[in-house]
Amino acid sequence: MPKIDLTMDVNGRKVAKQTEPHKRLLDFLREDLNLTGTKEGCGAGECGTCSVFVDGKLVKSCLMPAAKADGAKIETIEGLAKPGSLTPLQQAFHKTGASQCGYCIPGMVMAATSALRENPSAGIEEIKERLGGNICRCTGYTKIFEAVEIARDVIAGKLPETALDEDATGDSFIGANVRRLDAPSKVSGRLKYAADIKMVDMLQMQVLRAPMPHARIVSIDTSEAEAMDGVACVITADDVPGTDGFGVFVHDQPVMARGKVRHFGEAVAAVAAEDLVTARRALAKIKVEYEELPGIYAPEDALVDGAPVIHDYAQDNVIKHIPIRKGDIDKGFAEADLILEDVFTTQQVEHAYLEPEAGIAYVDHDDVVTVLSPSQNITHHRHMLADILALPINKVRFIMSAVGGGFGGKEDMIYQGMLALAAMKTHRPVQLTFTREESLVASAKRHPSKVHYKMGMKRSGEITAIEFDMLSDGGAYGMSSEGVMRKAAILSCGPYEVHNLKVDTTVVYTNNTPSGAFRTFGGMQAQFATESMMDMAAEALDMDPFELRRINMMKIGARTHTQQELTTASLDRVLDAAEEASRWETGAPRMRGGQRQDLGGPDTRRPCTLGARIGDAADTETKDERVAS
Amino acid sequence: MNRKMRGRGMASSWYGIARTATIDRAGAWAELDDGGTAKIVTGVTEIGEGILTVLAQVAAEEMGVRPEDVTIGDNDTSRSPEAAHAGATRQTYMIGNSVALAAREARDMLFTEIADHWDVPAGSLRAFDGEIWALETNLRMTMKEAVGTCKARGVVPVGAASFTAHGTGLDPVDGSGSPWQAYVFGTQIAEVEVDTWTGEVQVLGIWAAHDVGRAINPRGVEGQIEGGVVQGLGQALMEDYQTENGYTTTHGFAKYILPTSLDIPQINCTIVEDPDPLSPLRAKGIGEPALVPTAPAIMNAIYDAIGVRIKSLPATPEKILDALRNHVPGREQIAQAARQDRAEAHRRGL
Repeated sequence: MPKIDLTMDVNGRKVAKQTEPHKRLLDFLREDLNLTGTKEGCGAGECGTCSVFVDGKLVKSCLMPAAKADGAKIETIEGLAKPGSLTPLQQAFHKTGASQCGYCIPGMVMAATSALRENPSAGIEEIKERLGGNICRCTGYTKIFEAVEIARDVIAGKLPETALDEDATGDSFIGANVRRLDAPSKVSGRLKYAADIKMVDMLQMQVLRAPMPHARIVSIDTSEAEAMDGVACVITADDVPGTDGFGVFVHDQPVMARGKVRHFGEAVAAVAAEDLVTARRALAKIKVEYEELPGIYAPEDALVDGAPVIHDYAQDNVIKHIPIRKGDIDKGFAEADLILEDVFTTQQVEHAYLEPEAGIAYVDHDDVVTVLSPSQNITHHRHMLADILALPINKVRFIMSAVGGGFGGKEDMIYQGMLALAAMKTHRPVQLTFTREESLVASAKRHPSKVHYKMGMKRSGEITAIEFDMLSDGGAYGMSSEGVMRKAAILSCGPYEVHNLKVDTTVVYTNNTPSGAFRTFGGMQAQFATESMMDMAAEALDMDPFELRRINMMKIGARTHTQQELTTASLDRVLDAAEEASRWETGAPRMRGGQRQDLGGPDTRRPCTLGARIGDAADTETKDERVAS
Repeated sequence: MNRKMRGRGMASSWYGIARTATIDRAGAWAELDDGGTAKIVTGVTEIGEGILTVLAQVAAEEMGVRPEDVTIGDNDTSRSPEAAHAGATRQTYMIGNSVALAAREARDMLFTEIADHWDVPAGSLRAFDGEIWALETNLRMTMKEAVGTCKARGVVPVGAASFTAHGTGLDPVDGSGSPWQAYVFGTQIAEVEVDTWTGEVQVLGIWAAHDVGRAINPRGVEGQIEGGVVQGLGQALMEDYQTENGYTTTHGFAKYILPTSLDIPQINCTIVEDPDPLSPLRAKGIGEPALVPTAPAIMNAIYDAIGVRIKSLPATPEKILDALRNHVPGREQIAQAARQDRAEAHRRGL
């Protein structure tokens, strides 16, 4: 392929390079210039992690061909301040704790820099509008808004520069707002995530994924791909030397599909090649013959007699059932003055960490197979990989690279095994970086759930019995399902002392995208149902929702649903704190929004209205007032 | 009904700290290093929550140095002691406490040497912010000098520790057991505005009160609460990973909708501290618990605003409009009366 010559001014220096014509500006910056502070989060202009300035305008560099930037003046995160120093905006991000995982932060800093350059006196509404194209999954944006407002006022001279300093520490570092030690490297784009690291002689991996959700693999022919120039190796399940299987609780998932595929997007084979383009082309040369199988796409269907069996070891398709019993529910319901019964459902949710999965594997001088990746559980991954590779445990090494968001989604070892196999087969470093689409289809999700709920209560508000039955879709592999069901069951009936209860949580295999660990691990699905029921009960009993919760709350000495005696309990204090902070107006929950006097306080934001809230320096204040009215 | 209706709802929650229904463990190594600096090695790395800063605060507090003087080694199965995994709201509790214990051991080693050097009881020594002194004396030096003195006496001040949390498994029949040794509780209130023409819900305010045991870094705790609330808001109102017969139909951020800056309520955090009696730091955790009450608080607020209850997440505009269309005033009450009648009948054994 003929190369193209590009000349640009990048961060104040003239750059003249030959490169491939297919490259995006993002690729050119990251690969040709090693400016890896600019991140790839989605490749589709939707997340903003790749934001840079092109001739002074904020641009998503994943959407711009490098050739189109020829002759342009480019400014990246690395160019905002001299090495070793930070702009006031970066200092403000450091001060407020506006960076957490840090992966979105270079793009966010660029967008915020743009906002203040476009309008140095932008109000909060305009700041929010101008950050609207940049997704952050960790911070909840709040500390970012705070940082931009502080920086704006320092730059304008309305706040002294000391406003950017760290809060003073008293006589202890415990309880002090010590600034994050990792923030300077994050706000300046210096922190290297797995996809940012290059090693000498490194190969690039690409993964062939299942085009259908349930099928038997009749044959895989990799010969044509292997024969291609630039292809170092092709791997399939046949390359696994040890016991093939991983999973947080049950090791039911092979490194690559073995004999059959169980969900759309499952890894079937992988190629390691001299470069990404060659690896992608080689994927198209792998011939896989599938025989489609009937699938299960709803958890209820998994439990029907004669349902397709997804894993041989689980003929009933049940991954795990957790029962909890306490007291006598028949007696409890008989004592009730009121019985409520309902069904609650929650959906599958994506972790959407901004850093897609990425990793590097190599075999070191001591023959240690080393995997560097943003894994949330290197300890367990090491155990599993040693079994998979049939190696002693000290010959497998996991290094946790900087994690660009996890939330439970990076607990599953869904790609590290492939990297290790390719590194062993080639004795060269191998790197794999998922696309966003790959990350979405191949990684676990939050368990969707359906809860049948029955609650018995006395007129006094006391809960007399609860029957709680959750069915959850575990998808194609077990991953964390067992633990999620356990936590859902333990926490099910909420922070209330219930003397009679019957709780069942069940998770089944289907051919949907697997469900796994996700922040709260089943706790939110269960308590969504409980807290909805509590408000429905409060309405029925004409009781304030705080009061109903106080009547039933666990106190010191209470026995939990699993009959553990609590030696501490703080719900009373937490209820008081929340009620007071929110100026809660007492009353039963029955559509009284229209009459409430506690709405619209200074501790709420303005609602959004149609139209962009963007002004220029001159008319910002009027504009903000208009938004307010 | 006005076009835009507002309301408020609340929800409470509880959560267990560290691994569930099992013994949890974490290890750490500590060294008071030249120049009055410190090294900590433990098998844990940031996933964004701020644990490195928390560990540096803990180590600094225990060893009498400053957080910026603490270097934390990489998380590497061949180079650092096991601290297990980054999840389960266990980082501050498990690794924080193991670092505290390891740092304490290194400090005690240094204190023994300095006490002997000064000829005072080790119990009279204190160290903070880069200085060490003996109570009720004029004896005082920098930690740099103290480490130098210690090493000149032939001792490298090091420590190693393991911290254990004693959870037990659940009985397979009745589920009884003690899954955690530390629990936290939370309550959130949501204030919403519902556009009854478009079905769109905006969350305008969240008040979040959470017990964290002891806040090592209050700003970091707020960051966890704010992030958890916004993930909860996303699940409550917009996020929905969908498949059709197993095929993913939401394979990009154009179809999988996430909260952006314009969706963010004002989040008002209240940190409640009910110290954990079973661990040296007395801190508990906040990573996961912050998310739990958000979605039900928002659903309860929507009910307060428009009188319809969404029982199937997410509460998309389509679902809100559909529910409003099918809404019969008082229907819930009628249904409840009917259920009550049935319960009555059931109780009479009919």
